[in-house]
Amino acid sequence: MRAQFKTTVTELAAQDESIIVVLGDVSVYMFKDFWDRYPKRFYNMGICENTLISVTAGLSSQGYHPFVHTICPFLTERSIEQIKIDMCYNNFGGNIVTCGATFDYAWDGATHHSYTELACLRMLPNMEVLHLGSKREVDALIRSQYNNSRPTYFRLSDHPHAIETNLEFGKGTLLKNEGAQVTVMTAGPILGNVMEACRDLPVNLVYFHTLKPIDKALIERFRDTDILVVHDAYGLHEAIAEVPALRMHYHGLPDAFCGWYGTVHDIRKRIGLDPAGIRAAAQALLSRHSPAVRPLARTGSER
Amino acid sequence: MNELCRKIRSEILTISHKSGHGHIPTSFSIVEMLCAVYQTMRHDPKRPDMPDRDLFVLSKGHASLGFYCVLAGHDYFDFEDVYAFGAFDSKFGCHPDRTKVPGAEASTGSLGHGIGLAVGMALAAKIAGTSRRIYTLIGDGESNEGTVWEAIMVATNLKLDNLTVLYDHNHSQGRCLPIPNPAERFRAFGCDVIEADGHDVDALKQALVTPTDRVRVIVGNTVKGYGCTTLAENMYEWHRRSPKAEELNKLLGELHASAV
Repeated sequence: MRAQFKTTVTELAAQDESIIVVLGDVSVYMFKDFWDRYPKRFYNMGICENTLISVTAGLSSQGYHPFVHTICPFLTERSIEQIKIDMCYNNFGGNIVTCGATFDYAWDGATHHSYTELACLRMLPNMEVLHLGSKREVDALIRSQYNNSRPTYFRLSDHPHAIETNLEFGKGTLLKNEGAQVTVMTAGPILGNVMEACRDLPVNLVYFHTLKPIDKALIERFRDTDILVVHDAYGLHEAIAEVPALRMHYHGLPDAFCGWYGTVHDIRKRIGLDPAGIRAAAQALLSRHSPAVRPLARTGSER
Repeated sequence: MNELCRKIRSEILTISHKSGHGHIPTSFSIVEMLCAVYQTMRHDPKRPDMPDRDLFVLSKGHASLGFYCVLAGHDYFDFEDVYAFGAFDSKFGCHPDRTKVPGAEASTGSLGHGIGLAVGMALAAKIAGTSRRIYTLIGDGESNEGTVWEAIMVATNLKLDNLTVLYDHNHSQGRCLPIPNPAERFRAFGCDVIEADGHDVDALKQALVTPTDRVRVIVGNTVKGYGCTTLAENMYEWHRRSPKAEELNKLLGELHASAV
């Protein structure tokens, strides 16, 4: 997804001289061709995330459409006040693009995990929040949103899904409608595991890449079902809860630092966000409606 | 103290008395520095959104009352407009909102933010190839924030010679985390530093128009509460306090006595 981000921004920059890239000494080599082509619009500014956000807001104030990019928790959770005041309160736009989603850097430990930023950024007025899941989404949604002069957050991952989804900003995707009593709702790259887990289960499946604004109309269609929110972060559950009085259940992060190492797959498995864990959660909810539903044999491999 | 600066301080006292709001001593310490900026920068008070104007960002946003009165003193609006300072539906809050106040380029209040915004604005002017100049005023207390020094490092690394940082050296952090020798520190960060009497408008204007090829920092040596002995000698007590009627008369008396 990072490579797609670079490709899309580089293509856009050929047509739009207002595009500026600001990096925090991450993805620098990847952006080498952008740097070569547009040296006056490329700034590897330093490992100073608070200032990266402030400078991005300052660039935006003068009519530019900047992209600021580095590792997720440092650019967002560390810089939440710069995003809140310098971008959102000042109403200066700009595109915040992060890598290292949730457990992408599992081996680096909890300092490099990001659990909360989607939820935190959703609460900021004027902010748009996207948890992108596929390369197609990266390309389409950056193109549609980058120059809207609003602060927009794009969360990227090194583990995208390859499933076709609705590419319209603010719209969810109904991937499976069984008329079932249980609806699984998810967002971002974890969709791959969710699809595998739920492929042959009698559940509806709804997907979102845009967490703010959330597609309330789509959620409303499943008001009369039990909604199982499967997400490897905080933010989606809270977004769906904008629709009042739903029967919601969260299957995601524990209220604890996931202090293991290894890979994203190792940690997902440990906390039940591998296909088997997601399947078990869905089956548990299904069993409330139909005791006949029993756990089935695993149908796929861990992603 | 020239008459405009005295008038501005008089209005600061009066508005603080009427409204019950305002940081008077810190507003008093920056009056001459702001006047020097607005008397040398390219701007038009009747067209605050003039496209090629120079930009000023008040990074220490709690000095907003001083900022508003300096803008009023330079014809952006009337002093009377500011009398609703801090009121529910006023344009003039206790920290500036750029969407409400003509001449305010940024909404500030949390310390250590405005200077980063100013660095972005200065970079934008460089990218655009314009001759616009960017000014920001920071406090010495504000400079306890690490983001001030992050922003300075970025600005000097980018060689933003169109950026001027005015440093209000009013010793407000003497009881907490003082910053001794700020000029040396800014020089060590690669800035072109001029030290000046922060209450000498002519000296400040001269410093502002002196050519430079680096980020310029003007360390203005100031007195918090300058112009009123009571404020200057009791700056902590008066940090965020509005004068009652009898106190207002006393302070105005001190202010005008200093003209003698």
